[in-house]
Amino acid sequence: MTDTQWPRYMVLHQEQDNKPHQHAGTVHAPDAEMALLNARDVFVRRPDCVSLWVVRADLIFTRTQEELALHPDWLGNIQAAGVPTEIYYVFAKRTQKGQFSHVGEVEAENPAHALKMALQQYPAVDGLVWWVFPAKAVLKSTPDDIEAMFAPAAVKDFRDQANFHALSVLRKLMRKQETSNEP
Amino acid sequence: MNPELKQALVDYLLAMADDELILGHRNSEWCGHAPILEEDIAFANIALDEIGHAIVWYELAADVLGEERDTYANRMVYFRDAPDYRNAQMVELPKGDWAFTMLRQYLFDQFEMVRLEKLTQSSYTPLAEAAAKICTEEIYHLRHTQAWVRRLGLGTEESNRRMQTALNELMRYYEQLFSPSLADTLLFEANIVPFQTELMVHTLELIVPFLVEANLIPPRGSNFVGPNDVIYRHEHTEHLNDLLSNLQQVARLDPMAKW
Amino acid sequence: MYGATVDPIEDIRSDEEKLAEFEARIARGEKIEPGDWMPEEYRRQLIRMISQHAHSEVVGMLPEGAFITRAPNLRRKLILIAKVQDEGGHGQYLYHAAETLGATREEMLEALLSGKAKYSSIFNYPTLSWADMGAIGWLVDGAAILNQTMLAKCSYGPYARAMVRICAEENFHRRQGQDIVITLALGTPEQKAMMQDSINRWWWPTLMMFGPHDTDSPNSAVLIRWGIKTKTNDELRQSFVDQTAPELMALGLTIPDPNLYYDETSGHWHFGEIDWDEFWNVVKGNGPCNAERMATRRQAHEDGLWVREAMAAYAEKDQS
Ligand SMILES: [Fe+2]
Ligand SMILES: [Fe+2]
Ligand SMILES: [Fe+2]
Repeated sequence: MTDTQWPRYMVLHQEQDNKPHQHAGTVHAPDAEMALLNARDVFVRRPDCVSLWVVRADLIFTRTQEELALHPDWLGNIQAAGVPTEIYYVFAKRTQKGQFSHVGEVEAENPAHALKMALQQYPAVDGLVWWVFPAKAVLKSTPDDIEAMFAPAAVKDFRDQANFHALSVLRKLMRKQETSNEP
Repeated sequence: MNPELKQALVDYLLAMADDELILGHRNSEWCGHAPILEEDIAFANIALDEIGHAIVWYELAADVLGEERDTYANRMVYFRDAPDYRNAQMVELPKGDWAFTMLRQYLFDQFEMVRLEKLTQSSYTPLAEAAAKICTEEIYHLRHTQAWVRRLGLGTEESNRRMQTALNELMRYYEQLFSPSLADTLLFEANIVPFQTELMVHTLELIVPFLVEANLIPPRGSNFVGPNDVIYRHEHTEHLNDLLSNLQQVARLDPMAKW
Repeated sequence: MYGATVDPIEDIRSDEEKLAEFEARIARGEKIEPGDWMPEEYRRQLIRMISQHAHSEVVGMLPEGAFITRAPNLRRKLILIAKVQDEGGHGQYLYHAAETLGATREEMLEALLSGKAKYSSIFNYPTLSWADMGAIGWLVDGAAILNQTMLAKCSYGPYARAMVRICAEENFHRRQGQDIVITLALGTPEQKAMMQDSINRWWWPTLMMFGPHDTDSPNSAVLIRWGIKTKTNDELRQSFVDQTAPELMALGLTIPDPNLYYDETSGHWHFGEIDWDEFWNVVKGNGPCNAERMATRRQAHEDGLWVREAMAAYAEKDQS
């Protein structure tokens, strides 16, 4: 039997209502519903989440700034063909050390077209890397899920390093030792 | 509360606590051995939640008795022997395969959910409040275990066969969760806890159609432990002894020491 | 690779130009992202390192996992489950980082289970007492933090981001370990002896975690040149000893190294030579628990086959 570790789903999480969704990582899951459930366990073990999205990783279309700069004509060559459009989510990584975060939405015919639209629609976003993916491919947690999925992490205070007083005990002991070493 | 009722309440809380502790303990044995990495993590969360719930019930019992919460909870867990434990046998059985583990968790979660919803109506306010809080975590457990049971029931021939085998085995023990005892009658009359038979009816109403939809056949009537064979909660399988000798091993090296 | 790339963009630069630009980017402190050009050797080294790191987290669940059921009080039990669970999470984040380079988890696990891939040798030592939970948390996680803090600044974006996430959690691991060590070291004489025995067993293997001297480490130079590592094995090892030795001693614990002393002139702790024969022996698979750890991982993998297959089968049926 050949092994399967299941497909990969990209996980996007939102820490607070007024902040954009950000990339958290991926989970392997047999389907979107399981991906959403496992995303909660993998990425919300600590309390900083109000919403989770999952989307099949192979549906994400991506370009880096380097790729776009290498071929300035590539974008220009993409033309709308007049076929039906759909909504795409746009994410970008804007700083070297930063994380991918939600920029907005565009309406486009296909992934490459969506990227072109994103660059036109969000000229102020200096994306180092761009992601676009169809909105309809995303499975989202709902506001009703907050209580059962995300709120319980807040009471798990045993994970919080602030609850361990090892450092202060150590410092006290070391200070004691220093003073007793002095002649 | 009169002393008799107080004792009944403590017994009830301990039975709930022991169920959750032992189940959480069994679940924690999967950490590092699950079928896929994501589930090592997810199932550890369920273990943490169940042990967390156990602590809530132990501490409520401590409050009823006027004991110090943390000391009491740890004494109950680490310094009682098997005959003094009040958990149902279903939760002490070895973890088995993933089908057994998942199905046991589902059956327990559904039972717990029904009981917790009733307990939120308890006339004993601390119990009602604790039940409401725990309920939110159980919603998630149930979603997780239902997702798994449905998929394994309908997945492959092998997964279906393993699930059915597990179900047949577990159903022999399931009814014990609902078996009434004298103490419960006292508590029921004081509107502190729901009537056990009512819990069973509600739970079965929920699990039977769900299992059928997952292509699993719930055993009926004769496969259930008959009403004359009530297993009392001080009766255990040999597995509890093994479990406790492991669980209590370090703590009993020096009962007076701080760890 | 996050997903399927549509219409690959042809890169017309010469190899020298590409390499020069790549190294210039690293020199400027830029992060390399999936999709950017990178030398094959950079990709190869990263996959090797990241997957090895991921395997270490996953195998690392076993020695501590063995004490979850035996934790001596309820709080410690919750903490230990959460800790071991976090390590699984770290493995998960790291496999993801390697996947962005084109490695699949199926391949990586196959490499681990067939014995082709390595993982940190520290996890081939047995856990014999509760005190080992303290020693591992403080020493092993403490050593890992030094390495991981460095890697959080590495030149490959997804690896660096995984490390940032991991480092935040590792501090909890070290703290809970310190907490156990302090409790036992200041506890009953038996507890203190148990703690001392544990330090005696874990001290040297922890120093070995940083790897061979840089002069004996074939990959060090290229890893530093491309900004994957920014400190040498020996530098990291020295920081570990400088930080940890005085703290353990303040607790009245002895470090099993007769050559350990504080060197006033250098401001560093001088320590004895590592037993490199032992180091290489464990790397080669002859440590006390290599066989057991691999057998356990293989068992879990095989027991899970039918589960993974059934879930995939359901997903397929559900879609059609
Ligand atoms: Fe529970
Ligand atoms: Fe880790
Ligand atoms: Fe750790």
